[in-house]
Amino acid sequence: MLIRIRNLTKHYVMGDTVVRALDGVDLDVEEGEFLAITGASGSGKSTMMHLIGCLDRPTSGTYQLDGDDVSRMSDRQLAETRNRKIGFVFQTFNLIQRTSAVDNVAVPLFYARRTRVREPAQRALTRVGLSHRAWHKPSELSGGERQRVAIARAIVNEPRLLLADEPTGNLDSRTGRQIMDIFRELHACGATLVLVTHEMSVALQARRIVRMRDGKIFEDRPVDAALREELRLEAPAERSDEFAPSPPDAGRAAVPAAVARHVRA
Amino acid sequence: MFFLRIVLMALRSLRVHPMRTVLATLGVIIGVAAVVSAMSILEGTRTEVEGRFATLGSNKIFIFPGVQREGRRAVGSVNTLKLDDADAIARECDAIVNVSPQVPSSGLIKFLSKNTNASILGSNETYADINHYDVAEGRFLSRTDVLAADSVLVLGWRVKRELFGGRPALGEVVKISGPLGARGFRVIGVMEKKGNIGWTDVDRQVVMPVTTAMKKLYGLDAVGLIICDSVSPDSLDVEKAKEQVKKLLRQRHRIRPGQPDDFTVQAQGEFLKQFSQMQTIFAVVLYAISGISLVVGGIGIMNIMLVAVTERTREIGVRMAMGARRNDVLRQFLVEASIVSLLGGGCGVLLGWGMAKMLEQATRVINTATTSQAISWALAMATLTGLVSGIYPAYKASKLDPVEALRYE
Repeated sequence: MLIRIRNLTKHYVMGDTVVRALDGVDLDVEEGEFLAITGASGSGKSTMMHLIGCLDRPTSGTYQLDGDDVSRMSDRQLAETRNRKIGFVFQTFNLIQRTSAVDNVAVPLFYARRTRVREPAQRALTRVGLSHRAWHKPSELSGGERQRVAIARAIVNEPRLLLADEPTGNLDSRTGRQIMDIFRELHACGATLVLVTHEMSVALQARRIVRMRDGKIFEDRPVDAALREELRLEAPAERSDEFAPSPPDAGRAAVPAAVARHVRA
Repeated sequence: MFFLRIVLMALRSLRVHPMRTVLATLGVIIGVAAVVSAMSILEGTRTEVEGRFATLGSNKIFIFPGVQREGRRAVGSVNTLKLDDADAIARECDAIVNVSPQVPSSGLIKFLSKNTNASILGSNETYADINHYDVAEGRFLSRTDVLAADSVLVLGWRVKRELFGGRPALGEVVKISGPLGARGFRVIGVMEKKGNIGWTDVDRQVVMPVTTAMKKLYGLDAVGLIICDSVSPDSLDVEKAKEQVKKLLRQRHRIRPGQPDDFTVQAQGEFLKQFSQMQTIFAVVLYAISGISLVVGGIGIMNIMLVAVTERTREIGVRMAMGARRNDVLRQFLVEASIVSLLGGGCGVLLGWGMAKMLEQATRVINTATTSQAISWALAMATLTGLVSGIYPAYKASKLDPVEALRYE
């Protein structure tokens, strides 16, 4: 079991009222799963992501990541855990503007005190098909390329868990599809993925969906035809085909050749 | 290796805002430039003054005419030191060996169609001994010359060269004009090449009997000062010599007990002491000023670092998400602040050194010496300023909550 969460709560005090951002959540995630956490804003999915990502500590309950009890860790241990076990992908990419793509990818290696950083960073860029853009600054890259650099940065330390927060939120639908294709390829290679999104069409590409409301999980089930049908009825306005999996051939064409090669190998 | 990367990272982030970096360092640049130029001037002056005192020898006693006073009001003239006083000191003070009364002046020395400006000193036969200053040709003034007030003189090395070139000067007659009219002086000697004695370039000086200068050239009845040697440089002997001179002169000038001296007796050591006291005062004032500008510079750096921390809040959040420990963030900003002020310190050293050199060139009086000690001290101060002013911003950055920082717009 990679993630084992029991009765997790997170309370914030805002003025006089206590906000129960998370209110007793249980969740297990096996190694190699592709999980989407969805919910409207205020449902607690962001808090959930922060706790799973070891950026924050719960008010109560336990969270075991890869066998370690994260809820009792010091700041320093949390930083080390984030560095070694978790790769983050953000909605706004969050690259450091003044350095090249390869140096951005090298940041986690730097904090891991690795002595050789350029080669692993280059390898990670190759995995997302951007080795030819290694020396460009983020401002010289397109949105999709920036997010691919961010993915390379997330996987460079070979983390146990990839955590993506609305990774397609700032991209047009075509580029968003390419990014989702990369995630699927990574999953096919054995990576454990947790995707946090409010867009059902994105969430449906995972193998399992966890739906949240008012700080609680109200539905946790595998993605199948029945679910797709239910969701279509539930939210007719949403164009659920937007981020639907590309047809096999189109997917191959959209994913850079290097990724495809890597995945096949 | 890790530290080197942090340094490179800091340099890269400073390059993003070159103008801001320059403005941030301005205070430190000015502060360090002030420290360096102040230290250069003080050090240069000290070397210069001590060097000049060294040429005088260490057992000199100076007697200056003083103004006669009643209470605080000056009532007498400064012409209180007579030639007889010098004779009396030589005769009666056993703690004193050489006595050289001096009438310093300057003017034009002429030989045929050539002329040159020189210091003109009236003194006696002890002048050469007292200054360890010898003739190269001919002879120095004798006691007979002084007693007879003969119109003779000895030429400084450069004066001789300018008036006579390579030709012999002994026995020739040069002309000097004074308030009592022009007069011819026979050259009886040419002095060796010497440079400075005290503050006088003796190579550009002629020496004649003090009696001749007073009676035949300037019409004076008093000497400018009297220089003598104590029997030894030992401070007890110097004190004894000073006491003897004071007692004798008070007696000769008929000064009643309780009334102040109408002359000043000072040993060379006292000059040096006064000088170093003055230097200490200067140093304190200069360091205080440069200290203030370093503090101002530090505030400038702190201000810029606080702006940088706020501006880069999200970056800090991202770095924390990627595994940066709080200490890593702290170190990053501390190194950045230190590098800013070290750069400022480097520029400040160059600027301060340049300012000192320019001052030296412009005045031609002030000597400066920029020691490596001064430079390393200034750089250390600059780096310390950066570290101290970087602590608060860096601490603030390291205490950010990663969740909040990532959310920051």
